Amino acid sequence: MRKVALVAGGMATWGIRPATWSDLVQEAGTALFSSVPNLEAKDVDSLFVGAAQPERLAFQSHVAPMAAELLGIRPTRFIRRVELACASGQSAIHDAYAAIAAGLSDVAVVLGVEKMNLPSMAEATTSMANVLDRAWDGVHGGTAPPFFAMVAQRHMQEYGTTPEQMAAVSMKNHRFANTNPTAQFYSKTFTLEKLLGSPFVSPPLRLGDCSSMTDGSAAVLLVGEELARKYTDTPAWIAATSQYSDFHNLANMPSLTHWVGLEKAAQDLYRRGRTSPSNVQVAEVHDCFTISEIIEYEELGFCAKGKGGAFAADGQGDLGGKVVVNPRGGLLGCGHPLGATGVGQAVEVLHQFQSKVPEKRLVSGAREALTHNLSGSANAHTLTLYRREN
Amino acid sequence: MSAPSTPFLLDFFPQEDAKFTRVAPFFTHLREGRLTTTKCPADGSVHWPPRVSCPTCHRDQLTWIDLPKEGRIYAFSALYLGLPLGMEKEAGAVVGLVELGDTGLRIFSRIVGKKYEELKIGDPVRLDPFPLPDGRVFYRFMSKV
Ligand SMILES: [Zn+2]
Repeated sequence: MRKVALVAGGMATWGIRPATWSDLVQEAGTALFSSVPNLEAKDVDSLFVGAAQPERLAFQSHVAPMAAELLGIRPTRFIRRVELACASGQSAIHDAYAAIAAGLSDVAVVLGVEKMNLPSMAEATTSMANVLDRAWDGVHGGTAPPFFAMVAQRHMQEYGTTPEQMAAVSMKNHRFANTNPTAQFYSKTFTLEKLLGSPFVSPPLRLGDCSSMTDGSAAVLLVGEELARKYTDTPAWIAATSQYSDFHNLANMPSLTHWVGLEKAAQDLYRRGRTSPSNVQVAEVHDCFTISEIIEYEELGFCAKGKGGAFAADGQGDLGGKVVVNPRGGLLGCGHPLGATGVGQAVEVLHQFQSKVPEKRLVSGAREALTHNLSGSANAHTLTLYRREN
Repeated sequence: MSAPSTPFLLDFFPQEDAKFTRVAPFFTHLREGRLTTTKCPADGSVHWPPRVSCPTCHRDQLTWIDLPKEGRIYAFSALYLGLPLGMEKEAGAVVGLVELGDTGLRIFSRIVGKKYEELKIGDPVRLDPFPLPDGRVFYRFMSKV
């Protein structure tokens, strides 16, 4: 297989945006193309669009050709949209990686985008209910918050995890977001008291434990080994990928608190990348809720099972800790525009390797990083391992 | 049995009869007050939700079995903010995973009869099939506490 490099990335501003789905696509395009002067649209042979629910949220399907037109790209190899709910963006990166590694594409753009804020919030939350098994789970009012609330309830009961430990995750990620001008909560500061006193969304989860409905987009450029230095001196090399899915209906989830699917996907990733959790210096993980990041510490092997709460409270996922988790600000701080999130995480990894991020979140000398997205009710896990050196 | 004000997140149009679905017996049984699902006679696996092909052995000759009508709450929460269409006026609605008898099966459902703060893990519940204004029938669980 040919080696594949992530060589450039661009971010739109995320938040409640006065912008349509098409506007967001164009913003990501401007951000990407302006960051790589050597790149011309005619050099791009493939476009992969990560978009979770444009049919409901923007009343538009067949979105990949639309995005290609907006970006001035005329793909000759691959043109498609990739959907895996909250992991759509990272899955699109996997598809581009596979195409380039196989020698079927040389220069691919991956664009992630979601327009989520509509005049009716209920319309958007309804789209979250059909991410679950809608006819049997979503139908009862099963959306993301009550599901992850049950996860938190059981983790608290089984391992003694506390609201204060969960708030520590939120504090860290919101603080990192204050260093990231593209983050939804860039200019909003939070205190522990404010987070712990915020209203319940689905108890025990409060507003401060939940990521937001966000409009946003991001784009990255992936190329084959021999083209990497044309675009940057410091690429991020894709060292391994993994995915695992072991259930969909909630009745078939092996355990609410032990995400065996993530544990397996992580072990596969480390084995394929010939590494171990202790070598990972930066981890962009899926903190859709504070409890998610706590369980991800455990399943990714950063701490023992059940110790994720203490890991958070001790600052082991912060600068100076064992591994810096979500320096970009995470989903909690950046917001979570479903299809864009995984692409935004990849941009952060590249910019960490290139020392392009502000000092307050820079993991200096980072050589190995991973990105993780769960999708739906943690029914599937998507992981990528990146290295600075080839 | 009281009907909810709105048909929440069901299919937009009724599609529970044999004209539209091969698991129509589930809804016929539910009208009789029975909670049922499919079982594969070849390998003994019990499915949720009901299937037309066994995910274990892919045979399609499945039988219908009755599930316990009583269970215990394994985990639960409530919806206070961000309620989906059709539920906007039901802030505080309780949902949870109900462990059915000793089957080991935990199904997700609306739980009625008690508020969130009045419930705890392990509380007993019973099946509560209910009619919808458009003639359909659906299920939820009622607190026995
Ligand atoms: Zn079978």
